[in-house]
Amino acid sequence: MTDTGEQRDPIRVMVVDDHPMWRDAVARDLSESGFDVVATAGDGDQAVRRAKAAAPDVLVLDLNLPAKPGVQVCKELVGHNPALRVLVLSASGEHADVLEAVKSGATGYLLKSASTEELLDAVRRTAVGDPVFTPGLAGLVLGEYRRLASEPAPAAQDADQPGAPQLTDRETEVLRLVAKGLSYKQIAERLVISHRTVQNHVQNTLGKLQLHNRVELVRYAIERGLDDE
Amino acid sequence: MAKRERVMRMSVEQPLWRALTGYRVLTMVYAIGLFVSAYDEVAHPWVAISYFAVLAVWTLATLPRVANAASCTKRFLAADLTIALTGILLTRIAETHERIEAGAPTLPSIWTAGAVLAFAIKGGWRWAAFASTLVAAANLIHRSGVPTRDTVHMVLLVWIASIAIGYVVEVARASERTLARALEIEAATRERERLARDIHDSVLQVLAMVQRRGAVIGGEAAELGRLAGEQEVALRTLVSGGLVPVSRVSEDAAEGAVVRAVDEPDDSGGAVDLRLLLASYAGAKVSLAEPGAPVTLAPAAARELAAAVGAALDNVRKHAGEQARAWILVEDEPGEVIVTVRDDGPGIPEGRLAQAEGEGRLGVALSIRGRLRELGGSAELISVPGQGTEVELKVPKATSASRGKAEQR
Repeated sequence: MTDTGEQRDPIRVMVVDDHPMWRDAVARDLSESGFDVVATAGDGDQAVRRAKAAAPDVLVLDLNLPAKPGVQVCKELVGHNPALRVLVLSASGEHADVLEAVKSGATGYLLKSASTEELLDAVRRTAVGDPVFTPGLAGLVLGEYRRLASEPAPAAQDADQPGAPQLTDRETEVLRLVAKGLSYKQIAERLVISHRTVQNHVQNTLGKLQLHNRVELVRYAIERGLDDE
Repeated sequence: MAKRERVMRMSVEQPLWRALTGYRVLTMVYAIGLFVSAYDEVAHPWVAISYFAVLAVWTLATLPRVANAASCTKRFLAADLTIALTGILLTRIAETHERIEAGAPTLPSIWTAGAVLAFAIKGGWRWAAFASTLVAAANLIHRSGVPTRDTVHMVLLVWIASIAIGYVVEVARASERTLARALEIEAATRERERLARDIHDSVLQVLAMVQRRGAVIGGEAAELGRLAGEQEVALRTLVSGGLVPVSRVSEDAAEGAVVRAVDEPDDSGGAVDLRLLLASYAGAKVSLAEPGAPVTLAPAAARELAAAVGAALDNVRKHAGEQARAWILVEDEPGEVIVTVRDDGPGIPEGRLAQAEGEGRLGVALSIRGRLRELGGSAELISVPGQGTEVELKVPKATSASRGKAEQR
């Protein structure tokens, strides 16, 4: 490895999946394409321990894990190191889990049926901080914002504190287009904005949700008196 | 498994049969004891003695017959009742007229009730009524048509008690059937969940894997991969969403059971989750994006909307080709449900829309619009060149904003 350019440093990836065949195949694909697979793990506990030791840039995480659910792994590791990027690679039909993982810090979601190229691209984008959305995830995020908006505001006493996060009209528009299967490029064309702007909008939708989740956790902690030292 | 079912069937009835066995032996001893204590007053002791000999042998020899329902045959019941009736009628020969008038017991006395009870336990209250009526008739003949108050009481008691016991046995059997059925459904559901877990952990992973590698290898393998992918989606839909329709099917089989409403956990006044109806459309070429929580609509509206989505997808295949991909987006707005179906076909160039309508190419889209209008909703066709065609279906919710509420009509 040359030290000349940081950009050329291989992305350090860790693969977590309880299915050995899958794990090996994904790890092999990644290393063949120049990624540095620093660790793999087959269950939740293992994943947390090894990720703390191996310090990967990107965690490719299956949510359906023995010993400790993938969502919990995501929470613990992102809490431990907020710079860690998590790409959820999972079979669909676990929607509540996916949403929970995204709220607690995962920035990408890909179906297991995605092609190798899609996976490699998704890992690359996750590494640089771009959100990786499937139409399914966009639908879930839209639904989550709608649920948050319809909930009665819990914090009436502290009025200056922002209540439930809301999407701007433009963000809603972009998310709807993602959910209808349009690529970022197509969305940029249709809305006559730049590709980068589309990405920013998508990123904001996730960012607000994750921030809200953290605020809720802190509020919950304060209510329960857990902040006492 | 069959063994377990048998245990279930016998659990309530078995104690009754055991009790009957004991009752028959004890009452036989009692009847003989009565006879011995009054031996000096009996007119023709030999008639009585020979009857009791037959009765004792019969009672002891047929003990296995009253051990359970299966061995208690109709023929045995008939013979048993005949012996009881014969005993009642023989009393007239064995005893003096005075003693009968004075209210002396019949030869078999309360042993008779055992024969009637066997009818009740075996066949329910109708059989019990039949047997006890015969016994009542025999008793009347025995009293020469003028029953004393005691006889009337005895007859009524046997009659009512046997009918009541017969009825209880029927109810117990029905409850047992219901219980067995409920356990069966529960076991089936558990098994299904276990299978779903297993399939999720193994088969689905392998299928997804085959799809993935197949696409990499290309050629014939790519086709195999595509097939595996389709099966993966189908199987996953089956093991995850399939649970609801199955539990609904099981309702009709609660035959003749008294407690029937047990397995019917239908919620929120018959509102239907639209997602479950649309899940069957998802596949390798069709992606379904939904809000992650139930999207409830009145059953009729949900069915119509799902049918409209199906028609839109058919339209996609017809006009954009078999290889076209499609996306379904379900949105649960406060006042309405919006379902969008988009394809990645060539789309309809501007200005061609009106022409296409004239050519009847939009026929399906128009029929979709008709369907939606009947529900008080709307259907809109949007086409952006190079970005496929979208059909946006909107259906207003039953009353207003509140979720999960379906009390119209």
